[in-house]
Amino acid sequence: MAKKYVGQRMTRTEDPRLLTGQALFVDDVEIHGMLYAAFLRSDYAHARIRSIDVSAARSRPGVVAVYTAEDLGDFWQHGPPLVPAPHSVEGVIFHSRTQVPLAKDKTRYVGEAIAVVFAESRYIAEDALEDIVADLEPLEVAADLEEALEPDAPLVHEDVGSNLASHLIQDKGDYAAAREKADLVIKRRIVIDRGAAGAMENRGVVAHWDEKAQHLTVWDTTQAPIPVRNGLAQILGLSEHQIRVIAPFVGGAFGPKIMMFLAEEFLVPWGAMQLNRPIKWIEDRRENFFATTQERGQIHDAEIALTSDGHILGVSHEFLHDTGAYNPYGLTIPLNTQSHSMGAYDIPNYHSELRVVFTNKMITTPVRGAGRPQGIFLMERLLDLAAKELDIDRIEIRKRNFIPPDAFPYNHRIIDQAFASLVFDSGNYLPALEKAADMIGYEKFVKEEQPRLRAEGRHVGIGIVSFVETTGVGPYEGSRVTVEASGKISVATGVGTQGQGHFTSFAQIVADQLGVSPRDVRLVTGDTSEFHWGTGTFASRGSVVAANAIHAAAKSVRAKILKLASKVLETPEEELELVDGLVRVADIPQQSISLGELAVMANPLRGAVEPGTEPGLESTDYYGPQYGAVASGTHAMIMEVDPETMMVEIKRYVAVEDCGTMLNPLIVEGQVHGGVALGIGNSYYEQLIYDENGQLLNASLADYLIPTAFEVPRIEVGHEETRSPLNELGSKGAGEAGCIPVPALFAQTLEDALADYAIEILETPMSPNKLFELLQAVKK
Amino acid sequence: MKLKGEYIFNGPREKVWELVRDPEVLATALPGTQSLNQVSENEYEGEMHVRVGPVAGVFSGRVVASDEVPPESYTLMVEGKGAPGFAKGTGHVQLMDQGDGTTLMKYEGEMQIGGRIASVGQRLMDSASKSMIRQGLETLNKALETRVAKFEGQEDAEYKPPSEAEFAAAVAKDMAGEMLSSSQMLWIAVAVVIVVVIVAVIWFSRGGG
Amino acid sequence: MDDLFTVTVTVNGTQYERTVEPRLLLSDFLRHELGLTGTHVGCEHGVCGACTILFDGQPVRSCLMFAVQANGHEILTVEGLGTMDNLHPLQEAFRETHAVQCGFCTPGILMSLLPFLEENPNPTEEEIREAISGNLCRCTGYQHIVDAVKLSAEKMGA
Repeated sequence: MAKKYVGQRMTRTEDPRLLTGQALFVDDVEIHGMLYAAFLRSDYAHARIRSIDVSAARSRPGVVAVYTAEDLGDFWQHGPPLVPAPHSVEGVIFHSRTQVPLAKDKTRYVGEAIAVVFAESRYIAEDALEDIVADLEPLEVAADLEEALEPDAPLVHEDVGSNLASHLIQDKGDYAAAREKADLVIKRRIVIDRGAAGAMENRGVVAHWDEKAQHLTVWDTTQAPIPVRNGLAQILGLSEHQIRVIAPFVGGAFGPKIMMFLAEEFLVPWGAMQLNRPIKWIEDRRENFFATTQERGQIHDAEIALTSDGHILGVSHEFLHDTGAYNPYGLTIPLNTQSHSMGAYDIPNYHSELRVVFTNKMITTPVRGAGRPQGIFLMERLLDLAAKELDIDRIEIRKRNFIPPDAFPYNHRIIDQAFASLVFDSGNYLPALEKAADMIGYEKFVKEEQPRLRAEGRHVGIGIVSFVETTGVGPYEGSRVTVEASGKISVATGVGTQGQGHFTSFAQIVADQLGVSPRDVRLVTGDTSEFHWGTGTFASRGSVVAANAIHAAAKSVRAKILKLASKVLETPEEELELVDGLVRVADIPQQSISLGELAVMANPLRGAVEPGTEPGLESTDYYGPQYGAVASGTHAMIMEVDPETMMVEIKRYVAVEDCGTMLNPLIVEGQVHGGVALGIGNSYYEQLIYDENGQLLNASLADYLIPTAFEVPRIEVGHEETRSPLNELGSKGAGEAGCIPVPALFAQTLEDALADYAIEILETPMSPNKLFELLQAVKK
Repeated sequence: MKLKGEYIFNGPREKVWELVRDPEVLATALPGTQSLNQVSENEYEGEMHVRVGPVAGVFSGRVVASDEVPPESYTLMVEGKGAPGFAKGTGHVQLMDQGDGTTLMKYEGEMQIGGRIASVGQRLMDSASKSMIRQGLETLNKALETRVAKFEGQEDAEYKPPSEAEFAAAVAKDMAGEMLSSSQMLWIAVAVVIVVVIVAVIWFSRGGG
Repeated sequence: MDDLFTVTVTVNGTQYERTVEPRLLLSDFLRHELGLTGTHVGCEHGVCGACTILFDGQPVRSCLMFAVQANGHEILTVEGLGTMDNLHPLQEAFRETHAVQCGFCTPGILMSLLPFLEENPNPTEEEIREAISGNLCRCTGYQHIVDAVKLSAEKMGA
């Protein structure tokens, strides 16, 4: 059947609702009798709780209840680990410590909730917070990643005996042997930090317990409504079917909204049941910096070994990863870093020793990129340094090391975040590199324009880096597709939507199979009453896993349609086609029946049905990939730096991405733009600044600088399409690609722009301050 | 953060020493002080109302003086906490007779800050605290001059301490003068008043014999 | 604060009268008192611009105002701009260029752009970027938004 909609740049079905302010976000939910929650959060990064006196808060008019850990009784429990320890690697050390709803005995990070107030308004609830007298005895703080591992460091979890949360070694081949044979070994310390997701909508939870119906409805800004439902059922002792979790329109997520069962997700539903009143909690921006997870630092001591003609023999790195005060998300981020530390290259020997460290700071969980930018930064920096030393052009050295297109599937033989062998399913990296170089005019710039500009005294640099991105990971997703009596199609899937355009791109898939317009496909995502099997939106998997489940379900329905229509129209299935909402006989268009009529026939009110048939034209199907599909690409940019003010201006930015089959190129471009913007923030403007006492010093948008329309340039997007063999659509994920190579690109371009200063950038993010210091330290 | 500075008082050292041990005067030098009580010989407890943009609340503080060498020097330990956060610091103050009727005060110390006050306005903490201290010292200096005048027989000499608003405005103006003026700076400046207010309580309210 | 004040305000052409606490933010008033939830709250400290509305024709951060300050004034929110069946040309343009992803910042950006486009019917890319530099968007990278403004300038100027 000819492809009609998949691949088209369709405008989005959901836009009119969003544009006119008619879309429901969590804070828009209003229920009669609703109470509002506010949380008292620790001001100390590490403190013993001596006492908490809530009596004054309880007696404030308008306050309905105040709870501390003591008041929760048996309900107080550690949250579930969201990602378990890796079983398949020998000798792993992993201490699981998960967060609690309200701190008991001691607080472990600034922002940890110690009490909750439920009141008639948020204003009163916040007033009541100030009535609470919390007597906290400050303890020594483990704030620095390296110091936290010293023998006399203050312990975040005394029972662990140290702050080492996990230790894991991965080996591919024999790096030590490879090193011996190398013509060049480069060793550097590379320091990487990321930041907050900074979604424009902060988190929120609304819970409504209907005592008479014995049913709980929860609206939640979550990326994973189904696991939240299942977790709540366990926690609250309800049946899963007594709970409906709805992820409505969500104002951006970027990772942290998949962290589950922080204080609020526990206590708001629980409170609603306790008090028999609906409860709303909406995070404010300042709280978001303290109470929502983020990504933070890694320190790598790394080495690369090469031959004199630039072939990489091996890469080795020891690194520390900051998990914060708890580690519910397991090793996902640092495993991703390992998966990406070999970049797009064919590297026979790899050694990685990972230590995950507990610190007295907020928990770290994936933020768009989820450990991948760190791996790519490491690899691309090492390669750039090698290129300089060996005097090989940076495009050339990449070409020499790319995994060749005939080497796929390529097994890296280390484990990935899904605890399976890291296998790259497909890829063809050279075309993207060449296209990017071509689009930005690399040759001409380097040979003609740059020398001319430099002669004028300007500091303009060009950069080009390649990257890979593991996407589309399992375990699975599902979907139900139904033809309704109206002839319109109804689709449900478990993943949530936070701006990626699922309502449109997924409808395009169904439209192709069923011969309808995507506008006639009503899609529901993120509502557990519509679909309750699945995991969520994360790791750039919607367009792979959910999409293929939808594709499978649509195909199944198509088969049912053809089977029934064949009987009704008395024509063999091969001679039938689905067009414009009809099933018709090819070449005899007058012989047709509409999908709606067929749907009614498939669900008779009277008469007998054939044994073994299912009613209606509906199917539920699942898709679970064997392993993740790997996307890739190359980004390039031209940037000017003012070595007096340290301000930068990106003159041109090119992003060539290869995410396999694109469901909707318009949406893919939007994802690339947004990812690059976040990447620019992560490269030069954003950093969460903590002091030695674990105090976050820039917890506001005035001090945490999210890029504006001035900092993000026009991005020229190019596409390559290497279909994934792992799924019928041939798709790979595209949600995170934009941000992954940016810090590496920034570093390379800055170095090039300031070539006369001969600096080495071994740290990300850079900033005007840091650049200034680097320049001061180096003589021209 | 580190705090360090100097100020010249317009009066003799003995009078300065008296002044900085007088809780009533200190309380007026820092508007917003709701109470300041001597708890033991070298320890004071107090409460100060702080209003800083969206951050407002009462800080409860404790000041302990030690290593007193009157009228030369002393060490202060200060702790304060409340809804806006907490602060804890130690510092050393020296008073030196200049020989011309004036006294040079030198102060040096360290402070840890946390909670809301740390997470907002951090960038200006340094200059704001200096500015705040300077304003506070100037107010004290006025009080000193009044005392000296009264001592010398001018019965109508009057010390008018500034109101909270006047004080905050003076600090903000002082800070704005020091750096690029921008309307955004003002709210951040005011936002940092709390820190400096605490600092001032720390430095100037201490127990005495 | 026990005193309540009566606020009379015209929003999107309709007059409303409500009795409120003086400390009630204008953004909360619009969203929860009047049920006009199209205006979103992103930061409550005046940086992100998601709460931008037109106050007597001028773009203003409703999170930095109190409802009582709006007494006797006129407000336009995104609900007054167009309906799902009848989009304003600017909204149409946003749709065509895929300038909306999660949609949270969108109403604030639309409201910021209205007076801008009235004064600058033919803006350059630089001018557009400056006009929206006070609105943060974490999803789109701004490019399609700039394209939408150019497109709508064409449409509205035609």
